[in-house]
Amino acid sequence: MLVNIAWRLFWRELHRGELWVIGFALFLAVGSVVSLSGITQSVNSALKQRSAQFSAADRVLRSSQPFDSEVITQAVAQNLKVSRQMQFDSMLFAGDKMQLATIKAVDDSYPLRGELQLNRSSVAGVGDAISTQPGEVYFEARLFDLLNLQVGDKVELGMSRLTVAGVITQEPDAPLSVFGGAPRVLMHLDDVAATEIVQPGSRIAYRYLFAGTEQQLSQFEELMQPQLNAHQRWQKLDNQSAIGGALQRAERFLLLSGLLGIVLAACAAAVAASRYSQRHTQSVAVIKALGATTRQIRLIYGGHLLLVVAFSLVCGIIAGQLAIEAAQFGIQYYLGDFRSAFSWRPIWLGSLTCLICAILFAARPMWRLAGTAAIEVLKNTTLKLELDKLQLLTGALAIWALMWLFSGEFLLSVGLFLLCALFAALLMSVAALLVKLAKPVAAGQSSARRLALANLRRRLWANSFQLITFSLAIFLTLLLYFLRAELIGQWQQQIPEGAPNQFLVNIAEPQRAVLNQFAAEHDLVTGQYYPVVRGRLVSVNDEQLQQEATKEQRSEQRVGIGRELNLTWLAQLPDNNQVVSGTWFDAKSSAQVSVESEIAQRLDIKLGDTLAFSIGGQQLSATVSSIRKVDWNSLQPNFYMILSPDVLADFPATYITAFYLQPEQNLLLNQLARLMPTVTVISVDNIIQQVNSIISQVTIALSFILLIICCAAALVLVAQVQATLEQREQELAILRTLGARHAFLRNALLLEFSLLGGLAGLFATVLAESMLFIVQQRAFDLPFTLHYTLWWLGPVLGIVLVTTLGWLQLKRLMRIPGAVLIRRVLQS
Amino acid sequence: MTTPEVHIKATNLAKSVKVADGSLTILHDISLTINRGESVAIVGASGSGKSTLLSLLAGLDTPSEGEVFLGRHPLHNLSEDKRAGIRAAEVGFVFQSFLLLPSLTALENVTLPAELAGIKDAKARGAALLQQVGLAARADFFPSQLSGGEQQRVAIARAFITQPAVLFADEPSANLDAQTGQKVEDLLFKLNKEQGTTLILVTHNAELAARCQRQYRMQAGRFVNKDNEGLADVG
Ligand SMILES: Nc1ncnc2c1ncn2[C@@H]1O[C@H](COP(=O)(O)OP(=O)(O)O)[C@@H](O)[C@H]1O
Ligand SMILES: [Mg+2]
Repeated sequence: MLVNIAWRLFWRELHRGELWVIGFALFLAVGSVVSLSGITQSVNSALKQRSAQFSAADRVLRSSQPFDSEVITQAVAQNLKVSRQMQFDSMLFAGDKMQLATIKAVDDSYPLRGELQLNRSSVAGVGDAISTQPGEVYFEARLFDLLNLQVGDKVELGMSRLTVAGVITQEPDAPLSVFGGAPRVLMHLDDVAATEIVQPGSRIAYRYLFAGTEQQLSQFEELMQPQLNAHQRWQKLDNQSAIGGALQRAERFLLLSGLLGIVLAACAAAVAASRYSQRHTQSVAVIKALGATTRQIRLIYGGHLLLVVAFSLVCGIIAGQLAIEAAQFGIQYYLGDFRSAFSWRPIWLGSLTCLICAILFAARPMWRLAGTAAIEVLKNTTLKLELDKLQLLTGALAIWALMWLFSGEFLLSVGLFLLCALFAALLMSVAALLVKLAKPVAAGQSSARRLALANLRRRLWANSFQLITFSLAIFLTLLLYFLRAELIGQWQQQIPEGAPNQFLVNIAEPQRAVLNQFAAEHDLVTGQYYPVVRGRLVSVNDEQLQQEATKEQRSEQRVGIGRELNLTWLAQLPDNNQVVSGTWFDAKSSAQVSVESEIAQRLDIKLGDTLAFSIGGQQLSATVSSIRKVDWNSLQPNFYMILSPDVLADFPATYITAFYLQPEQNLLLNQLARLMPTVTVISVDNIIQQVNSIISQVTIALSFILLIICCAAALVLVAQVQATLEQREQELAILRTLGARHAFLRNALLLEFSLLGGLAGLFATVLAESMLFIVQQRAFDLPFTLHYTLWWLGPVLGIVLVTTLGWLQLKRLMRIPGAVLIRRVLQS
Repeated sequence: MTTPEVHIKATNLAKSVKVADGSLTILHDISLTINRGESVAIVGASGSGKSTLLSLLAGLDTPSEGEVFLGRHPLHNLSEDKRAGIRAAEVGFVFQSFLLLPSLTALENVTLPAELAGIKDAKARGAALLQQVGLAARADFFPSQLSGGEQQRVAIARAFITQPAVLFADEPSANLDAQTGQKVEDLLFKLNKEQGTTLILVTHNAELAARCQRQYRMQAGRFVNKDNEGLADVG
């Protein structure tokens, strides 16, 4: 019976606006949470998969001890794919030539992720995806020249003689920091034993590569973690690339702005629910007088809310999932082998958001409605939109709960919430002040304007809540619009169009001229030449450094770097470097060195310290004259140590440079490799392309959020105007009765809305500018600049948006013939 | 003749309401007894406290002082929900401004109390009652599509659907023109008579009051002819 009544009322109420507004608001909230968290998750896993490609696996377990079959057994038990590899440095012999090389021995299943490209020739360039066979080795291009070998020749490694089969074109897990270092060789794992290189005490890195689903991997990791011995450790996937940082920022930004959209939508839901309740107050009183208990009323109206919630939840989840699918499709387009996975997390996050919004924003007015006393039937209750203090409180609580849910940080959410509360209070007082000021202004105005001002004054004061939500809505739209522009700009700056995508390493002095000529012939622009000399840091202030990187630190000796460094000398500070203490070299500087800040901290190096380097057996020393911060995210050669030009000038140096190569010019790389076989080409084109694809994904996501925020903002406006509809109808009727003409009423209405919109727009502008100030300073480390466009865009947007939406909803009211309006109002 | 059974009994009722500066007593020392099946009018000028008294007698509100019994139910002692239960089972209402639910059709408005009371054949009863008030053809109309008089007839049908023991009518014809009002009043008395309902009618209309068996006259929250147990002349 009760169900019948509830259902009937619900069905009939659908054609009135409020339930739709509540439903649409919740739908927006759910849809945006589901899609946003899902999309960031997808982009994140795309990024992970990309770095997996650079590790040739999803997870890597490193060990300094021989392979442990137990590990393999357990991995296979978890249905993981496994590959084993060994890496060691060893001498290669060919005739009278010999060369130290870094040898990597891999099995048949290598690589598990990414692509290995080998070429059965001595020239690097475009290669084929083939795998190593026992008895064969593949060389890095420059080794052919260093050893004076051809494809098909034999090379001696330990006790074995192996056939040189070709050149390594692309090795997925080659270290990216290969600016220098020993040339690389790839061989088959089965051949290692015969070389007899593996002896007790020889330094060999053993690696297990694993690949599988995220679930299998984490299960395996959980299982393995406690069993690892001192010689084994998990290798962290390197996420500190140019994209890593940008994406992290993007994710936080996405969720935060998504949250703001949700808050807006929730406000709309709250307003609509309030109005729904008000409109039903009399009905509830009647039903109660006819004998319904408060509980029954709660069931009826709770049922309404439940239906709306369920409907929006389902639609929101479906829409969100569709958006996720679309995004994953897009990612797949860029990252061919992207494996998308279904996740429950966006769904429960969306559902939780929906419940919080529904319970704390919309349920309260419904609850209050059920409390209406039956006695109200005998009173002539006039509709009043009054601010419910408890509703404000629960709403505020909901906003904070959502902030906490999304940021995952308690303190951050509290801080953010207090900031918002402060803004609200500020807006309230400004609104109050304006109301005071509006009165004397109104005195000298034409009557339409006077009416508009009077209306505005009354409503502003009675309902400064309305002004706040209008301002908030416009503020968020503006903020997001400008932040989006800023964020995208920043990313584009990081990888500008035509940024160098090919790095040339190991260029000898005489090759510079050849390279320049080659570049000129093919219209390539080479960048700066960085001279490189390899050397070890041996002491700081005459204290010897540990030369071996060991686990147990010997306390009496200073920590060292444990490997050779690329040393360079430069007169000019590179663009992506920033001196944090000391001063950069000047013309008179001699025997000085500038140290990168992180390594300075790690090695406890201070300004004025004396560093001694060993280069090819020779010693030299330099005084630390500056500490530099380096942007490691930039795709530029970066150095820990930069010496003043006088120090290294006498040492034989090789050079690094870079240029931009258009995709269709790719075959030039083959020519270049033939021209200068000893030069290593490192292509970052892949990385750049992937970064760009991710940036474009995130940009789409951002635009999507902007759209959501705009919708939510419009929804708030609609809900607010709807809420005053009845009151306005009454006023219009009275004014008509008093003889006001149609044009007069219309002008007054338009004026009222444009004033309100302009005011809200102005508030929003001030808020947005202050927020941008904070964000630029805090998040982006950018100098603050005023956004001039904002100052006209904000108020104009406010006027246009509020007036249009207000007019669209009220023009119906204006069209109703006066007589009808009057009768309708008198009857109710 | 059997001795009349007391249906409603109020003793020393008073009602105070909170206002900005303290409290205001809007009903003073009201005592009355109404027998089952009787029709009683409460008359008085606007603002004299008639509706307030009605709300106490019907259990819509509780008195600040005094006792009120509806049958054997001590309304002054019962919770809101208990009183709601009693209203659902025993009380019918007709209001000055009709108070139909705007989103329900005429028939649905009529059946609403029956459905709340869990009566099975609500729909059949509702249709029959609509027939009785002459609105069978308007069953699927919404209140906004009905004239004032039609709306009040629907409200009367709604009041009688649960076959209440007592009917409270608060100025049932005040919002209607004389002719329509007359028709509505006729209908009210007719159904009242058929069902043997106790009727308490609040009005400021002397003619209407005269159609009741007894009258109480109110002024400023008090009965002015306190002990009039017979027909009083209301001018
Ligand atoms: N809740 C209330 N607060 C203040 N005054 C009230 C309240 N309810 C009723 N009154 C006042 O009590 C008096 C009696 O009201 P009411 O019973 O509605 O009169 P009637 O129905 O006879 O016109 C009126 O003056 C009215 O203003
Ligand atoms: Mg009254």
